[in-house]
Amino acid sequence: MALTDWNIVTRSMRSRWFSTLLTILTVAIASGLMTLLISMRSAGEDAFRRGTGNVQMLISKEPGPLASVLNSMFYAQAPGNPILFDEYEQLVSQYPFAWTVPTQLGDSYAGAPVMGTTEGFFTSFQPAADRTWSLKSGTYFNSPLEVVVGSDAATTHRLNIGDSITFDHGTSKKPGSHEHDEFEFVVVGVLNQTLTAHDRALFTNLESAWLLHAHDRRESQLGHGIHTTLEDIIPNDRKITGVYASLGDRKAALIQVLGALRSDPNWTIANPASTVGGLFQIVSNIDQILLAMAIAVMFSSGISILVALYNSMDNRRRQIAVLRVLGASRLRVFNLVLTESAMIGVLGGFAGLGIAFAAGQLVSGVLQSRVGIVVNPALPADGYLMIVLATVALSCIAGVIPAIVAYRTPVVRSLRPVG
Amino acid sequence: MIELQGLVYQYPNQPTPVVDINLLAINSGEQIVLTGQSGSGKSTLLHLIAGLMDPSSGTVSIKGTSIHSLRGSKRDHFRGWHIGMVFQTFQLLHGFTVIENILAALMFSDLPRKEHRNRATALLETLGVNIPNARISDLSVGQQQRVAVARAIACTPAVVLADEPTAALDPEYASIAMDLLQEGCRAIDAALICVTHDTSLISRFDRHERLEDLCSVGGAV
Repeated sequence: MALTDWNIVTRSMRSRWFSTLLTILTVAIASGLMTLLISMRSAGEDAFRRGTGNVQMLISKEPGPLASVLNSMFYAQAPGNPILFDEYEQLVSQYPFAWTVPTQLGDSYAGAPVMGTTEGFFTSFQPAADRTWSLKSGTYFNSPLEVVVGSDAATTHRLNIGDSITFDHGTSKKPGSHEHDEFEFVVVGVLNQTLTAHDRALFTNLESAWLLHAHDRRESQLGHGIHTTLEDIIPNDRKITGVYASLGDRKAALIQVLGALRSDPNWTIANPASTVGGLFQIVSNIDQILLAMAIAVMFSSGISILVALYNSMDNRRRQIAVLRVLGASRLRVFNLVLTESAMIGVLGGFAGLGIAFAAGQLVSGVLQSRVGIVVNPALPADGYLMIVLATVALSCIAGVIPAIVAYRTPVVRSLRPVG
Repeated sequence: MIELQGLVYQYPNQPTPVVDINLLAINSGEQIVLTGQSGSGKSTLLHLIAGLMDPSSGTVSIKGTSIHSLRGSKRDHFRGWHIGMVFQTFQLLHGFTVIENILAALMFSDLPRKEHRNRATALLETLGVNIPNARISDLSVGQQQRVAVARAIACTPAVVLADEPTAALDPEYASIAMDLLQEGCRAIDAALICVTHDTSLISRFDRHERLEDLCSVGGAV
């Protein structure tokens, strides 16, 4: 095998392995940060849009559409402004909805939100465009005190069919929360994963949720030790916190209903998809700052390549002069240095993808376990390719000055014996 | 075969040229030693012959080609293919192995790539270097000298230029090194131009020229 330019470049990199490794690491971190930010940006928006499913409007009495969507669809907090079920029934009778699903939030199991709802939640509401509800095991709830568990909740809390559990009032163990230990719920079904925030929730029917609050009311009136049944539920106990609604394909009707409801100050109407879009518009400003920071880090990594190669030129001057004596042209030594710089870019770029992938998995795992949102930080293949190419291009630019120094190396002076 | 005609080189801001040779012709396979005092322009002359410096005037013709008429990469290629150089401090490529130092000389030549390793291996065997994969830093001074000679003659050049090749060696080793260099050049019928201030080497050569005598205006700075 003959010696090639490639051998010379790799020898040069190996002879300064520590400096080369640090430079590659700097480039990798910068490129990884850039990749992670860009991929998380689109993945985050996708994840939020995904959780809203086929709901065209979310009706609540929350202070604003964003709070309404975050609380009722992403379980951020328990909604604080209940709707009487009678009001809901009246609302449904007024407008030509294709379907509506009442939801009631406010209780929890070991920190996981518990939603009181109807069968329509599993039949009409579709959590994501590519997912319908399906059971991993068991059945949907048919009667009070039965609970269906989301896939992440079942995994996290090791819940299986037949398990008996009690709920807490409130969404966490905060002052004012207490255990509803008078009522034991039985797990009757475990849902398949939908890759939405709903996977970390538990679902029971509305009567069960109302029963808990009827009991609380009666206890405060009659004292401890009482027994509460469904017959004890009064209209004021029958509260919900939100309504998922859709008018199906009737776009004109949707606009009309949205307009009518929005003019009623009693209701907060949110179009989940556009509300999430609005949220990301707000976030995009911060996002752009982060992106600018990532670009700045990329440039600083370019400067580190320049400094590392430039500083090495003093030690390499003699080697370059010898290569020139052996017949290497100025352009060839220029290309050797530029190739080395590009190699740092290639290695740093690909290592950056690895860093971005690992960090993405970490962030994704944390988001899924803590927020229940499945963020899948990924870019199309050409997106990754573009980032690696941009890293290589930047590295090449950074290598131009050291390459010019190599090009202009004075051969005779560099070959003079030292001392 | 190698002809220097009206070759003048004058450093800027110097009153007289450091090299001023009216005519010097060296035949193929001839071995010539050029002596002179320090600063007499010996190394400058070698750099002019190698095309590493441009003369103020005059020509250096090797195998009928005026090296200074070649520009850029053409001149570099010509040097790599037709001129071998041996330096006082060997100037081997550290971080490379013994055989890679020889291959480095061949990589800029016209020799087919598949022949490079065989040529390098054969040369090292001829010169008694049997550790082709050793690092240069692991070699003794004598072994480094052999590698330097092997590299200089690897491309079968028309001329080998040796710049104070024994200056860093003790007398016993200097003699061995010169044997090696001279035999190496004879083996490939290359001319050898050796510049030195060591007068003990003069008797080894076919021809001796004093740089001061060659220079028509005295030249020494």
